[in-house]
Amino acid sequence: MRDQIARYAGKLLADRSALPGHIAFAAHDDVLLSEGHPKLARLCEGVLSSLSCLGLAAARPSLPFADFLVRRAGKEASRIVPQDTETRTFLHDIPFLRRDELGNDAPARIADLLGSRKGMIAEGLGIVAAGAVTVEQAYIHYSSIFHAAFVKYLLDVLSEGFRLPGEREAFEEFRRSWLRPLDAEGLAFRGAPLEAPEEILKEIAAVGRYTVERGLVDSFFGNISLRAGGTIYISQTAASLDDLAGRIDPVPMDNSSTTGITASSELLAHRRIYEESCGRAILHGHPKFAVAMSMVCEEKGCSVTDCWRDCDKVRWLGDTPVVAGEIGAGGLARRVPPVIAGPRKAMVYGHGVFTLGLDGFADAFRAMVDVENGCRREYFRRLSPKLAG
Amino acid sequence: MENSPLTGWHGTLLHVDLAAGTSRVEPIPRDLLLGYLGGRGLGVRLLRGAHTLDPFHADMPLIFAVGPLCGTPAPTAARLNVVSRSPLTGTVYDCSAGGRFAHRLKAAGFDALRIVGRSPRPAAISVTPEGGEILPAGSLWGKSVGETVRALEGRGSVAAIGPAGENGVLFASILMGEGNAVGRGGLGAVMGGKNLKAIAVNGSRSTGIADRARFERARQDVMRLFRASPVIFGELGISEYGTPALVDLMRQRRMAPTENFRKTVFEGSGSYSGPSIRKAYGSKKDGCHGCPIQCKKSDREGAHLPEYETVSHFGALNGIDDLGSIVRSNRLCNELGMDTISAAATLAAWGEGRGRFPAADEVEGLLADMAFLRGEGGLLAQGSRRVAQALGKPGLSMSVKSLELPAYDPRGAYGMALAYCTSNRGGCHLRAYPISHEILRKPVATDRFSFSGKARIIKIAEDTNAAVDSLVACKFSFFGATLEEYAEMLAAVTGEEFGPQSLKEIGERICLTERFYNCANGFDAKDDRLPERFFREPGSSGEGIEIPPIDEKRFDEELRKYYRIRGLTPEGTFSDPGYLSRLP
Repeated sequence: MRDQIARYAGKLLADRSALPGHIAFAAHDDVLLSEGHPKLARLCEGVLSSLSCLGLAAARPSLPFADFLVRRAGKEASRIVPQDTETRTFLHDIPFLRRDELGNDAPARIADLLGSRKGMIAEGLGIVAAGAVTVEQAYIHYSSIFHAAFVKYLLDVLSEGFRLPGEREAFEEFRRSWLRPLDAEGLAFRGAPLEAPEEILKEIAAVGRYTVERGLVDSFFGNISLRAGGTIYISQTAASLDDLAGRIDPVPMDNSSTTGITASSELLAHRRIYEESCGRAILHGHPKFAVAMSMVCEEKGCSVTDCWRDCDKVRWLGDTPVVAGEIGAGGLARRVPPVIAGPRKAMVYGHGVFTLGLDGFADAFRAMVDVENGCRREYFRRLSPKLAG
Repeated sequence: MENSPLTGWHGTLLHVDLAAGTSRVEPIPRDLLLGYLGGRGLGVRLLRGAHTLDPFHADMPLIFAVGPLCGTPAPTAARLNVVSRSPLTGTVYDCSAGGRFAHRLKAAGFDALRIVGRSPRPAAISVTPEGGEILPAGSLWGKSVGETVRALEGRGSVAAIGPAGENGVLFASILMGEGNAVGRGGLGAVMGGKNLKAIAVNGSRSTGIADRARFERARQDVMRLFRASPVIFGELGISEYGTPALVDLMRQRRMAPTENFRKTVFEGSGSYSGPSIRKAYGSKKDGCHGCPIQCKKSDREGAHLPEYETVSHFGALNGIDDLGSIVRSNRLCNELGMDTISAAATLAAWGEGRGRFPAADEVEGLLADMAFLRGEGGLLAQGSRRVAQALGKPGLSMSVKSLELPAYDPRGAYGMALAYCTSNRGGCHLRAYPISHEILRKPVATDRFSFSGKARIIKIAEDTNAAVDSLVACKFSFFGATLEEYAEMLAAVTGEEFGPQSLKEIGERICLTERFYNCANGFDAKDDRLPERFFREPGSSGEGIEIPPIDEKRFDEELRKYYRIRGLTPEGTFSDPGYLSRLP
């Protein structure tokens, strides 16, 4: 258990979602153990001792966005409702406890809330997330809440501006110090078409790792594939993009085997993209600015209420098409393939980006970098009046 | 609101005494409904007091219980559990089944049907909102399941036994008219022991929902998660291919039990994979009442096709790659009313014992002999443990607590190895269902070749699944959804607040009650054992995957850890003899 805790504490540092020194985990095997920041570790133990779960993560996020969202929420509110697809599908919404609600027995209050939910925000303390089955699951839920809060805050600031003391300064600091330039410089991609399975598996694992190391996506948010002959090599469901060795399924294009039942939920989308294009490699991730900007829709008088599921329009963000469609069998696989073949990139409402490589991953990776950089530029261009004001 | 009426439940059970020829409606106390929900939990609670009776004792109850979500549009919730004590294992036993019977029982106005007594002559029970009626069934005795169901057409949905149940085959099943089986553990023999051939249920009462808007939001959340799950609605998932979608995966993971678990790869398994079945039989979607997944598959004429466990055990476990033979074996078992897993595994143990596995063209004859206790069928009808003992080779029974292991070799998934042993009903994959995370990566992946953390994971999963079996929902739902969404639907239906934590606490109560019953019948740590083969012999390594024997010392360590986590003694028993008295 301690090795698991060390591993996922390290990932929180590597992906810069938690403040160094303010991370703790607890795990419950036949004994309860914890590691990390002493106060948070005690909190973790107190919470986990009341829950029928194996793991718990508590950490102060590296950005104050979650706390800002709590403070911006109406007085009667007890949850925030991010609109990104991950939250809508897996978390539904994110409950929170305000500083004064935590009282003198924060572990009990938090445990009470986590008895019904996967994770929550404790104002002033951080994000607390449970893992029913593994420590890794607690990390994933932490990461999901961090991601959701990030995207929601971007959108809220864009639409409502800054409302709290210190908010503008914190945001400017985020832009100046936390955000790093995205590029593909110095990365090695295999140039020639890959045919040998061993080479394909190595290349997929390497490119998956690049996406996380370069800060393009968080490790659990995306999938990747390469087509060779009649086989799609695709990352498995719930696989971390920076840890794909042994987690890639070879799936026959003709469905003559069901071994790929463990493949990514987006297998159908990948297959249809290959069927409708001449691409050989697909990269799918959830870069945060792209996710946010995909939901900035200026359509007037639209009658669609469930934009994620029902919008059948193709919008454009610069030269990238934006379509709707839910995960897996939820429609994404129907709407992305017709629009991606030409531009070799597409965005999905509230969800993320698909990019297509003709020979390998080099152009797909660069396309994803370009889309996210473009979304960043467009976001800050739209925000500039508020920043100036 | 302690005494406010509960929606979701009717709050009544129908008690039928076959010996006295009477039936009556009884209220179910509110604290039992809230404390055990329904299905497995309620059935297990209602068994209290009779749990030490012999399974064939006339007073041993046979309980059919639905849950609070049954009768609502909650996905996969039109199910019930049948609860009694198993004549095969001697443990408390429950089986979950779909079809339309559960929906109709709830619509008749009952949360449970409890049957006691032995009818002096073959009987059937008709359940309607007016109560229970005991009907003569002498003309049905000896009939197949299909013939019995057709004879009762017009009386609603039917649950029936075949000749195997009448003749006391220890793994006789109860079949729903729609083809769903209360398969494992021999509850069909308990029913046959009561001279009860069939039960027909009918009604049109609705199930209330306290907060429809909240319910609909939660239902939409569940459906979104189903669509996001590759196992459920993926193009290679169970909605497309049924559970035989697992055939190729288990082959690739090198954990498909072959030749009575002597090997873990069967080169002929491709002949009965999901795509092969589809090609040969044009399989189409079929399934339980109102279920969106429709994982059962039927052929062009509407006849049901076999599930994963069945194809693998009538296939690899007996070294048979003849799909036609496998399909016919499945149909015969369903007509005769026998559990396919135990039947096939018993044949495999017998085959290894005599030095030759049955050939494809011998299987049907042997199955008929089992059901009618003809020739060697009389011995085979007692299950693999008794067969292996009779052959003087007890190690050949691949069972735990006499329940034959299903088609996941424990050397390929160590959580599964542990869960086979801790399961309260014997060697069953569904109690903790670690295949979900060890193989199918849901909700997250765990290392299948590690015991680390598995004792806690198995305990949590057992509690979770006990709650699922009490809602009652299908476990396949949880390849996508979680208890969080189902708790939300339950709260919306009943008007009472539930969450994953409170449901797991209910599940823990159910699991410990079952364990307590088993301990009262003499079970303890000595029964929580895998067959020696798994600690001594390797599986079929290859293609970069090693399948060594299970490390016995490490296994024992994790089992002891499980006992500590459960609050049991090192012998796997209860230190507090009054444990049950502290429960609702």
